[in-house]
Amino acid sequence: MRETLVVFRRELRSFFLSPIAYVFGILLVSVLLYYVSEGALQNGARASAEGLFATLPLMLVLFLPGLTMRMWAEERKLGTLELLMTFPVRIGQLVFGKFLACVVYLACVLALTLGLPLTLGAYGKLDWSPVLGSYLASLLFASSFVAVGMFWSSTTRDQMVAMLLSLVSLFVLYQLGNPQNVEYASDWMPAWLVDLVSGLSPHKYFVSIARGVLDSRDIVYFACFCGFFLYANALVLESRRQRG
Amino acid sequence: MIEVEQLAKSYGFARALKGVSFTVQKGEVVGFLGPNGAGKSTTMKILTGYLLPTSGRASVAGHDVVAASVAARRCIGYLPETTPLYGEMRVDEYLRFCAEIRGIPAGRQRAAIGRAVERCVLQRVLGKNIVELSKGFKQRVGLAQAIVHEPPVLILDEPTSGLDPNQIVEVRTLIEQLGKEHTVILSTHYLQEVEKSCTRVVIIDQGRIVADGTQAQIAAAHGGAALRVRVRGPADSVRAQLLQLLPPGAPLAAEGGGNGVTTWRFGLPSAASEFPAAVAAQACRHGWQLLELAVEHASLEDIFRKLTGAKAQEAVHA
Ligand SMILES: Nc1ncnc2c1ncn2[C@@H]1O[C@H](COP(=O)(O)OP(=O)(O)O)[C@@H](O)[C@H]1O
Ligand SMILES: [Mg+2]
Repeated sequence: MRETLVVFRRELRSFFLSPIAYVFGILLVSVLLYYVSEGALQNGARASAEGLFATLPLMLVLFLPGLTMRMWAEERKLGTLELLMTFPVRIGQLVFGKFLACVVYLACVLALTLGLPLTLGAYGKLDWSPVLGSYLASLLFASSFVAVGMFWSSTTRDQMVAMLLSLVSLFVLYQLGNPQNVEYASDWMPAWLVDLVSGLSPHKYFVSIARGVLDSRDIVYFACFCGFFLYANALVLESRRQRG
Repeated sequence: MIEVEQLAKSYGFARALKGVSFTVQKGEVVGFLGPNGAGKSTTMKILTGYLLPTSGRASVAGHDVVAASVAARRCIGYLPETTPLYGEMRVDEYLRFCAEIRGIPAGRQRAAIGRAVERCVLQRVLGKNIVELSKGFKQRVGLAQAIVHEPPVLILDEPTSGLDPNQIVEVRTLIEQLGKEHTVILSTHYLQEVEKSCTRVVIIDQGRIVADGTQAQIAAAHGGAALRVRVRGPADSVRAQLLQLLPPGAPLAAEGGGNGVTTWRFGLPSAASEFPAAVAAQACRHGWQLLELAVEHASLEDIFRKLTGAKAQEAVHA
């Protein structure tokens, strides 16, 4: 636990020191707010808080790979991974510490968009509990994508490769859970198959919980999804020990 | 303190280590010597728990590096060959991170970092970002990182490579001081470094250990020594007598010097042999004037060349 926290703190600092994190944060927030404000002009204030959360998944697909690509690939390339792995720390602690740092960083970025519901709340009546629920859902959703991005970063020392692999796999996950695709597939595929395939995608769960109603089963799903990729991440690092 | 037994490591099909065994006692400073690609870094990476061996076993301070990896790693300070550092961190932040992750209690961190900083003379650069430091300072930050938790064992992979001559002297002096309190393995391909800093030498070539011992032991075992004899006397009879002393077929070189003086050189089976006494006895018996009788020890460099160079040649031809 202590070791995880030490890794977490260093990683979080490096997020706040790296230019790419700022570029990422500013891009994400401005693009989100741009789309949302456009929607607000057309549909009135009611739609915009929802619009925020409807735009988020695609924005994460596009921007998150740029953030997670460096998390292991850079350490591998610089050789700091070698030193890190000779500290008296288990690999799981390294993986989890880094993961937490990225999630906390994203929570900070998401918090920047709080200005929007605050403004809406000032102008009209805003029901805060679904909004906060949606924020929690967004964070869970973003975490699941972080786990995927980190996993790919651990497989290579080339950040571009890590980014492309994350981009492709996040896009596929996004499309698998995209409500339109699910609807389209239901027309010609058996229902159980649609459920199975779309059930793999965090996007589907996000759509269902973004309205602000969190089910404990959804939380279990996200925990399993993250757990799976973090475990795979640890296995990749461990197998490097074997192969050299 | 360190025990390595039949350690082997393959990278895919390439066999980097082919059964390496050696031990290091507490307090020794062992120079791990070998040409590039010999397997020095691979051995060190296994000892520090970064790589798993393909077969064989190794232990550090009694902890198996595979089965009790974390416990073994606690006893080690490691400076990898490339001196990896987090460039965007300041020196003091980086050392604090290392102290924390090594599990030094919060109350003792300050003192531990202070001591490492003092030993490595980093006071002036504490507030600087690591990227801005010169190579020599980076190396010292790497060393400070390795000693901050006062490990019983220090493993330093080519600690002086890539430094300028002044920096090399600084780092060597530092390592010599560290050697008084820690058990040290350092790898290098500079022979002077071993001659200056190490109490023992392990020579490795192509994944095998080819020599192990103090410099004198290695010289005796592998260098052999040569005897140089300068005498004034009838060359033919001297040659005949000397050949009688030598094993049949041994090479005997002669160099005339005028005035009936000849210099003879021949290999001794070992530096400790009784040969010089026998030669002196012959000189007395036959009335030669013995002008010079000297045992020439092979230098570590000669031995290194002999042990690692010849095989490299063979490999090229094979
Ligand atoms: N990661 C790796 N993958 C494949 N081969 C490697 C790897 N690391 C080292 N080798 C090979 O293993 C051998 C030993 O390398 P190394 O231990 O680095 O030697 P040294 O440190 O003595 O120069 C070399 O032939 C090298 O090419
Ligand atoms: Mg090396």
